[in-house]
Amino acid sequence: MTTNGDAPLKVVPVRHIGRWISGGVALLVIAMIVHTIFSKLPTGQYACSGAKPNRLCHAKTEWRFSWDIIRHYFFTSEILHGVVLTLLLTVLAMAIGIVIGLVLAVMRLSPNRLLSATAWTYTWFFRGTPVYVQILLWYNISAIYPQLSLGVPFTSIAFWHVSAVTLFDPFRAALVALALNEGAYMSEIARAGIISVDEGQIEAASAIGLTRRQTLGLVVVPQAMRVIIPPTGNEIISMLKTSSLASAISVVETLGAATNIYSANYEVIPLLLTASLWYLFWTTVLSSGQFYVERYFARGSLRSPPPTPLQRLRHDAIGIAGKFRTTRGLEVAR
Amino acid sequence: MTAMVEARSVCKAYGGVEVLKGVNLTVERGEVTCLIGPSGSGKSTLLRCVNHLEKHDAGELRVDGELVGYEYRDGKLYELNDRQICAERSQIGMVFQRFNLFAHLTVLENITLGQVKVKGRSTDEARLKARELLARVGLDAKERSYPSQLSGGQQQRVAIARALAMEPKLMLFDEPTSALDPELVGEVLDVMKDLARTGMTMMVVTHEMNFAREVADTVYFLDAGVIEESGDPKVVLTQPQSERLKMFLSKVL
Repeated sequence: MTTNGDAPLKVVPVRHIGRWISGGVALLVIAMIVHTIFSKLPTGQYACSGAKPNRLCHAKTEWRFSWDIIRHYFFTSEILHGVVLTLLLTVLAMAIGIVIGLVLAVMRLSPNRLLSATAWTYTWFFRGTPVYVQILLWYNISAIYPQLSLGVPFTSIAFWHVSAVTLFDPFRAALVALALNEGAYMSEIARAGIISVDEGQIEAASAIGLTRRQTLGLVVVPQAMRVIIPPTGNEIISMLKTSSLASAISVVETLGAATNIYSANYEVIPLLLTASLWYLFWTTVLSSGQFYVERYFARGSLRSPPPTPLQRLRHDAIGIAGKFRTTRGLEVAR
Repeated sequence: MTAMVEARSVCKAYGGVEVLKGVNLTVERGEVTCLIGPSGSGKSTLLRCVNHLEKHDAGELRVDGELVGYEYRDGKLYELNDRQICAERSQIGMVFQRFNLFAHLTVLENITLGQVKVKGRSTDEARLKARELLARVGLDAKERSYPSQLSGGQQQRVAIARALAMEPKLMLFDEPTSALDPELVGEVLDVMKDLARTGMTMMVVTHEMNFAREVADTVYFLDAGVIEESGDPKVVLTQPQSERLKMFLSKVL
């Protein structure tokens, strides 16, 4: 409100020249990249029409990024089948990995030295060797353990046995390798989450008579989730792409399907791009999912949750509209 | 009738440092006992031993006639297992300096959790009890809030309601107002005074000398792990005998 009834004062915002220039440069670079992505290349061939002497010829062109070929293969059953396998590997390996990780984290924090040392050794081994090597090892496990059996340890008594070759077909070998490797990483993430929970929370839970297990399940883990979720989201996204290593042991997931096709028709780049676009698509889906899960587990720790992308977009739109409304300004008491 | 809390030469050391050096103390039923003393004197440790958040190393500690953390059978002391200790603790309410409300639960959920999971009440029953207690501490409008949305004083009152929901026979307060802004101390002390009036047995570690004088039946002054002086607060706090208590009172009053 103005004190003397005058019209509201106009506010002149600070001009950020540097921001405008750097913004312009960024825009230029983006425009150049987009232009090359959607540009065409001459093929070296010519297309002619009409008879001499009025014959018209022009150079033939094709998409630099072979968009037509990508579009053709994008939804073929072989690629789609591969995509399903990629998702299956990712979801199963992560699910098993998270369970292993939580168990290992609790073991690591156990007062029992043998348990914590076991968990430490597991993490040491599975983090210390490349996941690619682990996939190859599980695929060839029958060389060292030809037969797996269930029976009395250190005797020949067995109730059930299975040959390692049948048990570890390519898909299962890849799944086991990815899951066990993930377990090692998840255990560190879960451990960081658990130790981030304030000691006072555990004392308060004990004081009302909750058992150690109830305290862990009802008080510690739900609060640790806030710390565990963001890196776990990263792990899922990373797993989506790491699962492509399974193609090395002839699992026909997204990349495997793409290489199968291009080894027959030599359309290497379009098929690699097809695979890349599928990976990008699922990464986008997973990242947006991660945002909402994080928001859910942050309840109670933030006074107001961060805005969703839609809310932010609406807010930005209102802000930009406001910039163009020149009469809008703060009212200053004079 | 046995006393509610009975400590006989209770000792506790942390890595060679003796925090409690043979403490004797009795808390009668329905009494309010205040523990005062400089920081590091062992008063919080003593309180935490009473509900076995800390294990005492030597001496005898009884709550309601039962040994804390141990069982006496055939001339031996048997350590209690996790479940038995939890059963003991569920009958002793505790309020912490830093409130320690469960950050991921609403006010109502904070108060119902123990009732449902430890006492085995139905959710409806637990909610009814929680709302009754929230009304008693003057926070019935806040049941849907998360702890981070409340002031310190409000959080501490919820913490008191959470402890009371377990219907404890003894309430322990570990410096309940030390983390509060000065203007919020009163609202928490008022709730505690109300509670004392209902005949609740309370052990309060505090720096609020006025509260001790007004409410306590007995006050214990701890210094360097031993009880220096004890008795009626009106006597102990106004006519201190030992030099240490005189010095302590001159600093806090």
